[in-house]
Order: sequence, then C-alpha cells, then structure tokens
Amino acid sequence: MAVVRARGLVKTFGEGRAARRVLDGAELDVAAGEVVAVLGRSGSGKSTLLHVLGGLDRVGAGSIEIAGVDVTRASERELSALRRRHVGFVFQFFHLLPELSGEANVLLAGRMRGAAPEAPARGGELIDRLGLRDVAASLPHQLSGGEQQRFAIARALVNDPSVLLADEPTGNLDAEAGAEVLRLLRAGADEGRAVVLVTHEAGATAMADRVLRLADGRLEPC
Amino acid sequence: MLSLAIAGLRARGSRTVLSALGILAASLVVGTGVTVGYGLATGFERSAERAGLPDVIARFTPERRATVDERVRALPNLAAASYRYEVLDEPLTANGHHNHRGAVNTVGAGRRGYEIVEGRDVAGDRAGEAVVERGLAKEWDLHPGDAIGLGRRIGELRIVGIASSPDNVAFPLATTARVYISEATIRERLGFTPDDANVALLWLCDPSKADVTLTQARAVSFGLGRLEFVTREGVRVLLSQAAGIVISLLVAFSLVALVAAGTMLAAGAHADVQRRLSAFGVQRALGFTPARIAALQAAEAALVAAPAALAGLAIGTLAVAGPSAGLLAALNEQPPGRDLLAPLALALIAVVAIVVAAATWPAWRAARRPPAEILRGGDVTPRTGREARGGLLGLGARFSTAARGRFVASVATIAVCAGVVVLMLALASLLERLREDPGTVGKRYQLTVSAPEWMLGAIRDVAGVDAAGQRYATEAADSFRLGEPLRLVAYPGDHTEFEAPPLAEGRRVRGPGEAEVGLGLADALGLRPGSTLAAQLRSGAEVRFRVTGIVRALEHDGRIAWVRPERLLGGDPGLQPGIVVRVEPGADRGQVSRALTEIGAPPRTASAATTRNGDFLAVLAAVLRGVGLAVGLVCLYALIQALTMTARERRGAVALLRACGGDARAVATVLAGAAAAVAAPAALAGIALEWAVFGPLVARLAAGFASLPLAPAPGHVAIVLGGLLVLTAGATAVVARRVLREPVVAGLREE
Repeated sequence: MAVVRARGLVKTFGEGRAARRVLDGAELDVAAGEVVAVLGRSGSGKSTLLHVLGGLDRVGAGSIEIAGVDVTRASERELSALRRRHVGFVFQFFHLLPELSGEANVLLAGRMRGAAPEAPARGGELIDRLGLRDVAASLPHQLSGGEQQRFAIARALVNDPSVLLADEPTGNLDAEAGAEVLRLLRAGADEGRAVVLVTHEAGATAMADRVLRLADGRLEPC
Repeated sequence: MLSLAIAGLRARGSRTVLSALGILAASLVVGTGVTVGYGLATGFERSAERAGLPDVIARFTPERRATVDERVRALPNLAAASYRYEVLDEPLTANGHHNHRGAVNTVGAGRRGYEIVEGRDVAGDRAGEAVVERGLAKEWDLHPGDAIGLGRRIGELRIVGIASSPDNVAFPLATTARVYISEATIRERLGFTPDDANVALLWLCDPSKADVTLTQARAVSFGLGRLEFVTREGVRVLLSQAAGIVISLLVAFSLVALVAAGTMLAAGAHADVQRRLSAFGVQRALGFTPARIAALQAAEAALVAAPAALAGLAIGTLAVAGPSAGLLAALNEQPPGRDLLAPLALALIAVVAIVVAAATWPAWRAARRPPAEILRGGDVTPRTGREARGGLLGLGARFSTAARGRFVASVATIAVCAGVVVLMLALASLLERLREDPGTVGKRYQLTVSAPEWMLGAIRDVAGVDAAGQRYATEAADSFRLGEPLRLVAYPGDHTEFEAPPLAEGRRVRGPGEAEVGLGLADALGLRPGSTLAAQLRSGAEVRFRVTGIVRALEHDGRIAWVRPERLLGGDPGLQPGIVVRVEPGADRGQVSRALTEIGAPPRTASAATTRNGDFLAVLAAVLRGVGLAVGLVCLYALIQALTMTARERRGAVALLRACGGDARAVATVLAGAAAAVAAPAALAGIALEWAVFGPLVARLAAGFASLPLAPAPGHVAIVLGGLLVLTAGATAVVARRVLREPVVAGLREE
C-alpha cells in the first residue's frame, strides 16, 4: 500500500507572463520500504516536489496523501503534526542549528509538543547506531560534512516517521561520506519507511528501487 | 540617487514600514514634549505680556485712593499705576452654581493688568456689567451675555467679557474666583462713588530695578496696614518652579524616546548593513565610493524619517494641544499658537538628523573597508560558542544573544524605558501621597482642630490620641530682600514631636530666638546656620531669628521656617494657634475624629500639600501615569523591533523548526525565549537605573530643598515586571504571527 500518494500536482511560481509551472500534473506513489529516486536538472522542480509532499509548501492543484493524511486540505496545525509524526526531512546543507550540539539537534524534533514520547531514547540509539557518540556533544561547526549529514539523518528519524524526504543529501559531501548517507537512507527504507530521494547525481540512484525523472513538471520512469 | 533610494526602500517594504513606525512613535513623544514643554516654559511671559501684567502688585488695608496715589507717585522708577478695590469672600451665583469665595475687584481708570480673552472689558460709564475670570467661566460654563449674581447688595450683573491674568492660577485651582466690575456699577447699586483702594498695580520703567522701588515703597508705606507685595518676577519664579519639574520630565522623556529610537534604528541599520554587505561589496567593485554608498543610505533614511517624523510630531502635538491648553488655562496662561512652529521645526530637523546619522554611520563604516574584504564577509553567520540549554526557550534566548551589539542596544533601550516607567510610577505615587499623606512632607500629625487652648487637655485625653499641641502658622516676607514670601511655623515646645523635616545642616531649634529654615528659603536668602532671618509679619512688625539649622522641607517649596512662638506673638499678638493631633499608631483615625467631634472639637484631616494644589497634583499624577504608559509603548516597540530582527536573521532556523514539526506554540516558545532574554535583564537594569540614577537625579531637579522618596517601591517593581511580561508576550505574539505567515520553504531557502 502506498504511504505517499500524489495525484495531478500543479505548482506555479510567479504571476502573469513571468509565471513558471514547475509541477504540471506530477503523480507519485511510494510504498512502505521503497526508495524512489527522482532525477532532474537544476530548477526542474525536484525540491519543490519534496516540499509539497512534506507539507512545507502548498500546491496549486492536485492531491497528496501521506500515511493516510490529506496534505492538500490540512490546516497549518495539522501539517505541523504531520511533519512531526510522519515525515522526516534530510537537506543538502544539513540545516543543523549552530547553537545546538549534534545530539541536541537530533533531539530537537523530539522536544516538540506532540512528538513521540520515545523520541529521546530513540535519538540516543540513533546516535550510537550512526557512530556519532564520540562527537555528540560537538557543535555543528566542529563536525565534518559527513558527520553533520548523519546527525541530520538521525534528526529526521528521531520521531520514527513513515516517510523520509531527502533533498540532494549527498550534494555537499565527498564520495565516501555520500555513500554512507545513501546506505543509511536505504537502511531507513528497509525498516519500513517510504523514502523519496531527490538528486541530480545519477550515481546516487543505485540504491533506489525505482528511479523517476522530473521533466516539464511531470514524473516519468527512467 | 533619489530613485535608487526609493527603489531600495520599496524592496525592503516591511522593514521600511517598521522603521517608519518606530520613528513615528519616537516623534510622537518628542512632539508631545515640545508642545507641553514649550507651552509651559514660555506661557507666563507670553501671557504676562498680553495681559500687561504689572511689575508689582501691592495689597494693603483699604485706604483713600488719593492718599495711596500720592505715595505711589513719589516712587522712583514708576511708569504707571492703577488701583482696585478688592472684596474677598463675596458670594457668587450663576448658571446654577454657587461659591462663597468670590474676589470682586472694582476697577478704576488706567491699565487693567488682565487680558480680555472673550467679549469686552467693563466700561467705566456703564453699570450692571461684569468681567469674569476664565477659570470661573470655564468651570461654570459662562459666556458673555450670561448673568452672574454678586450677593444681595450688588445683585445680578451681565457678563460682558472673560478675562485672564497670570498673577495667580485660575479658579478652581485657586480657591477664589475673580470678578471685575466698574465703579459705575458700585455707584448704581450701592449709591456711592468708591474712592478707596486696597490693591495697587505698579508698572515700572525698569523692571530689573524692582527691588529699589520696593525698598522705597516700604519706606513710604507709613499708614498702610498689612502691606504685601507680589512681584511679576516672584510669580514667574513660583510658576517656573512648578512647571520646571514637568518640563524637565518632558525633556527627559523626549530624550529617552529619541535615544531609544536612535539606538534601535542604529541596531536595525547595522543588521541591515550586515545583510547587504555583499551588495556593498559589489557596488564598491563596480566603482561606487564609500561616500556614495553612505549617501544612498542617508537618502533612504531621510526619505523614511522625514514623513514619519512629521506625522509623529503632528500627531503628538495635536494629541496634547487640548490638554496642554487646559493646563495653561489652569495657570491663567495662553497657549503658544503659531510660535510653536519654530520649536517643532527644530524638533523635526533633530529627529531626522538623528535617524539619518544612526542609519548612515554603519554603512559608512562598512563601505570604507576594502571591497574584497566586504565580499568575503558578505554572509551573516550566527556566532557560536557554548551550546544553548533550556529547551526551546533557551534556544530562543541564544538566538537573541548571538548578535551581541544589538542585544546590548536592545537591553539598554528597554532598561532606560523601564527605569523611566518606574520613575513615573514613583513620582505619581509621591504626588498622591503629597496630596493625602501628611507624613510625606514631614508632618507627624494627622488631624487639626480649631479649638480654644483650654480644650487641649480634653483633646489629649481622647482615646487614640497620641499627642496634641498648639501650632502657629503665619505668612511673612523676608525684610532684608523685601517681598520674598515665607511661612513661619511655631510650636511652644519641641516641634519635632509634630513636624520633623530631615535636618540637612546645623541643629534643631532650642530657644525662642532660633529658627530652622527650609533649604528652599536658605537658598533664596543665602542663609546658613548662624545667619539672621528677618521676617516682616502681616501686622507690619519685624521679627528676627538666628538660624540654627537647615532642613529639607517640601512644604511651601521649602520657603518655611520653624521657630518658637514668643517672638511671633510679640510682633502679632492677634495670631491664633490651631491644635494639631497625632493619632496613636494603629488607632482608627475615623474613631478618633468622631470622639473629638463629640467633645466639641471637630477635626480636619491634615493634608500634605495645600488643598489648593490637591487637584493639580492629582492631574499631574494622572499625566505621569499616562506618560509611563507611553514609555511602555516605546518598550513594546523596542521589543518588537529586536525580536523581528532576530526572527529575520534566524528565519532559516525557525523554518527548520517548523519543518521538524514545530507548530505555532513551538515557534512562539522560541520567540518568547528570545524576547525574555532581552526583557529580563532590561527589567532588572531599569529598576537599578531608577534606584541609583533617575530617582536621585529627578529628586534633586524637582526639589533640591527636600528629600523626595523616589526609590522604586515593591508595587512599582511588580508593575514594571508584570508590564514587561505582558509586553514580552505581546511582542512575541505579534512577531510569531508574522513569522508563521511566511512559508516554511522561504526560510529554508535563505538558510
């Protein structure tokens, strides 16, 4: 059964003659345990697709269902709850808060009202499992890019989401660190999550179950 | 450059609006301060000129006008003189109102010494006309054409004009209401031609030599009983003292508002410059000079500041124009009218200059750096150090403190505002206590009784009475300087049992020839322990005392002296004492009052300030609380400004929080932490500032002759802390609402 289900997505930026339709009827189904890689050129709308799937942005038309929740009709409060319980984001530039240690960044999502009660314990486990215990107390600027991205993945997983959305997760890493990150994402899917990976690197698609290409606002199999 | 500046402002629309609102708020306070301050500072001179106020007003027991005129004409330096016959405590009736304290002045030929502000003056040859003072007209809603009754003998008169004279405050601030009538009215209603006078108005050729004229006047005053002089300079000094504290406070508020706005704008401009460093770098690389970049910034600042300051000044001026005119009317003074435009124009220039300087300086400093260095430093990165603790609140606090310069500026601004608010509350409370609590001015008695001396024993025996004693009080004039008014208070024994103003210098009175003088009087007459105080009593007799101590007395502006009664009674045997009653601590004052009434000695509650000033003090207290509220709004602005800048700089972090599932409450918690990090230290610093700096400074400014208790009371501290808590919550709500309206992805893109 599809954990992610998107139909007829339309997203337009700008108005009038400057309007640009980056999603134009895109459709997507991702099942639990499945990794779907989305390829596309820069500016093709890959990040926008992830944003609308995760409820960070609204579509102009179409429908999205994440873990049974209708994203397109959800209020801001419901979207917050959705992101807290069902969605984990991994970004290209890690987005770790510089004021918090690696561990505190991981636990940040677990500190929210309505977060899973077991989040703190799970955060600790993730830090151990991802080999970050020795650097858990370090601030982000004291960490390598690979370490920062592993903390970001741990943060995305701390509430045990059913969907993992990764936006160019290896784009800012060297080959070795990038491979490690992809392995972790695969492991996340193997635990029963739906993973959508957006990338412009063909090499990063090797671990994916399916590879789609976003072109002219639509998703097509490669 | 202008078009570039306009384009820049449009591009930063919301920021521009926020800056404009801040400038508007600060200008509003400045406009208020300028309008009220200028009106009060210049009101007396302006009104005295318009009214043709005499340089000296002499009051004496009734005497034939020809006799008085003969002596007055002999005075040196005299330019003109006119005479009145003033009858006090006349019943007045009009428009359903009634008052027994009318001061009816029969005016003769010559200068009047008052200004007709509505209608016309009484005509010398027409009977049945009256001119009433503006305070009475306003209070009783009287207009030319209305009727006013002046007792049974004179009967009803037609009001033909409304007059104002700044030699005294207006009714009802003054207990007497002045009415002017012509001699023709006396002739018609009373059947005789008045030829007596008890008031002489003197205009001098050289007012600066009034003392010479007064010395001569006393020398030739033989036969004139209870001669008293009021000089125009004396009235001006008295009114200036009263207005001085208000003006000082208004100037202080205006400065606080300007400093607050300047600091916040400078901090905002600094943050803006940081944000635009890369743009500056590119401009420098393209050949822009630092001066041109700074000039562009100045043009942008001026474009925002000029209309905002103009609007703020206009709103501030319009908002207080009515109350200010009312305050001036209560002092029998005129509002400045068009004369106000010049100080307002200066204020506009000052506000715009401060804003432009605050906005341009950071740009100038940044643009002077080498272009490559500017380009390298183009990204704003938050400082990192120790890890933030305390959950989302702690994270927010860390966001605030990361930009240290702005954090310090914000804390300083809010601390100053909080300090001013505590000061306002302390002042307002003090004014109320001055009105109600005699202890504030050093009085240790709570009740006064008008009763013969033989009842003293019975009064002392009343349950709840701690002590009772005789108290003599009389007005006098210093006979060395001539005309300096002072109050003499005498107790047969140790006066500190009933009045104990703090001793500033010397020692207490021990014998009949000694005096403790208030610091105000000591300053005015140059008295020190060992000096001689020579006072002319109302009877005309002179009494002398050796000054043994200087005390900090608030009553009568410190122009007061405590003595033993022997010499006073020698100079004025008719002087009657009152009885003062000190109630036992914890005793029910109402019960004591009832018991005293039962034995035939009905008491009155002792007041701190004179009852004449009571209402005025109440108005001032309300004004001060209002100003405190206005300064509180500046606090709110500063908090919102600081929080908005923090939220803007850390919009990526806030967006990430939301991406991780943070809802409105989580965002608000972070922002509350950021606001509290500024407000909490600011509140403590503000209270400390008031305690250590503002309170002592204002106490000295307001009444150097007294000890004003202006330290922050626990209640005031609680109000300020509670107020700041509310402001923090308000600022958090405003900024959180704004932040939550922004799409999450917009913040993530910036990060």
